[in-house]
Amino acid sequence: MKMRGLVLFAFALCVHAQWLNYPDPRTPRIKDGKPNLAAPAPRLNGRPDFSGLWEADATPRSELDPVLGHGFFDLQIDVPNLSKYMINLLWDFKPEEDPSRPEALALVKQRSESTKESLPGSQCLPNTIPLTPLILPFKIIQAPREIVVLFEHYDPPRQIYMDGRTLPKDLEPSWMGYSVGKWQGDSLVVESAGFNGKTWLDAAGHPRSESARMVERYHRRDFGHMDIELTVDDPTYYKRPFTVKLPFHLIPDSDVLEAVCAENEKDRIHVVN
Amino acid sequence: MLDRRTMMLILSAGAIMSADAQSLNHLDPRTPRTKDGKPNLTAPAPRLNGKPDLSGLWQAARTPDREYTGVLGNDFTAIQIDLQDINKNVLNVFWGLKPEDEPLRPEGAAIYKLHQENPLGYPHAQCLPDGVPADMFVMTFKMIQAPQETVLLTELASPGRQIYTDGRPLPKDPNPSWMGYSVGKWEGDTFVVDTIGLNDRGWLDAFGHPRSEQMHMTERYHRRDFGHMDLEFTFNDPKYYTRPFGLKASLKLIPDSDLLEYVCSENEKDRKHLGK
Repeated sequence: MKMRGLVLFAFALCVHAQWLNYPDPRTPRIKDGKPNLAAPAPRLNGRPDFSGLWEADATPRSELDPVLGHGFFDLQIDVPNLSKYMINLLWDFKPEEDPSRPEALALVKQRSESTKESLPGSQCLPNTIPLTPLILPFKIIQAPREIVVLFEHYDPPRQIYMDGRTLPKDLEPSWMGYSVGKWQGDSLVVESAGFNGKTWLDAAGHPRSESARMVERYHRRDFGHMDIELTVDDPTYYKRPFTVKLPFHLIPDSDVLEAVCAENEKDRIHVVN
Repeated sequence: MLDRRTMMLILSAGAIMSADAQSLNHLDPRTPRTKDGKPNLTAPAPRLNGKPDLSGLWQAARTPDREYTGVLGNDFTAIQIDLQDINKNVLNVFWGLKPEDEPLRPEGAAIYKLHQENPLGYPHAQCLPDGVPADMFVMTFKMIQAPQETVLLTELASPGRQIYTDGRPLPKDPNPSWMGYSVGKWEGDTFVVDTIGLNDRGWLDAFGHPRSEQMHMTERYHRRDFGHMDLEFTFNDPKYYTRPFGLKASLKLIPDSDLLEYVCSENEKDRKHLGK
């Protein structure tokens, strides 16, 4: 895959801000005081509690370099830890397994070659799910009747309703979509629909149509690790539903940084549009 | 004092929202109802873990038109089309006070003058966050009460606000931010929120009353019944103001509904007119 450098953000964040560190007394610790990331997952009202600050696992350079080229990381200074799924959600698919319809492949090609196309996030617009949580830390807050997700990005907060409602039939398309969740054993199953057609599923530019539906299955393996098994069902662009398992890790004792795109925003004039 | 262009800009930055989106309506089975099926807004406030549950979509009482025209003239209500979406205090936290009675220190008055001379610097007009108190006075806002924190989401471009209720103290040296750092605690049935760590770039209102990094804000939320909540602010900013000052707002619940998504940079048409 040929990739230009990615314009992922319209502003720069400083990572791991000291002032947000708060040694949470609820964080399990080993003898030396460090968080015990292999401790059992916490529970809330009889279910796993997903609350916390999460970040996508970085893909080893040995797997990235052959595809992206060794010069890639010399140019890409803002993300030292890249998830391959952020670059290409279909990274693991062999060419013959690629579910993309020709319309989707044409868009990916157009987006990688044209300077007139750029990620919504480079224009102070949301990159939305699944892309935003694959790029930057995000916080899950589990309340009794809904789960709130806050992003370290200018995406609007996401609400996942847990009060038993079903997906509305006629949704106004929006950046973040409409999400409802339910429990299946210890897995949190989130169904979403109502996305607008403007978002990219990944930096490669895989498209999503307004008719797309997504299912995420959240599984917190232990205190420090979570998998999200994501299924995208979008017959407009993909021949069949496809599923990707995305690994995440907890960032203990920390929090999301405030992200305000319009502040000190310098990219707009350089992004041809 | 008032520059009309400022007023015109107040709610025109970025996308225009359609109110009362049908697709957000959800008949919540937990909403108490009267016999005819309408929400019973005077039913007792719901409780969660022994405390009032403040979760829900809230809107500050709107100001009658005559209050605006009495101060700003008849033209004002004619050109400012969004009055049903705001409360007078989003224009001026000192509404009703004579300018000479405003407790501004000379340092604060100087910044205020700068803002008045440069109304296009209003953060809202540039897709920057409004923050407290405008977040509670424009459109609606949603509170979500979780075990370790209460989240406050707006229909403006403000980042989601986290109010920690896990007993942590306010940090000693917070990095200044648009939304600040907030902790909440219960005093009886009143939820008391303390906020520090605000940057000095936010405006308290559209008139341009400033805030400094020394600002300490307190909010007191008291849910009277299912449909009504009292909110009282105290602002203490000894750098710019001679004394702490307050604001009161009466909030009503919007039952069976939810926040509309708002993305300021979408369909944003103002920037090129702002000379930026």
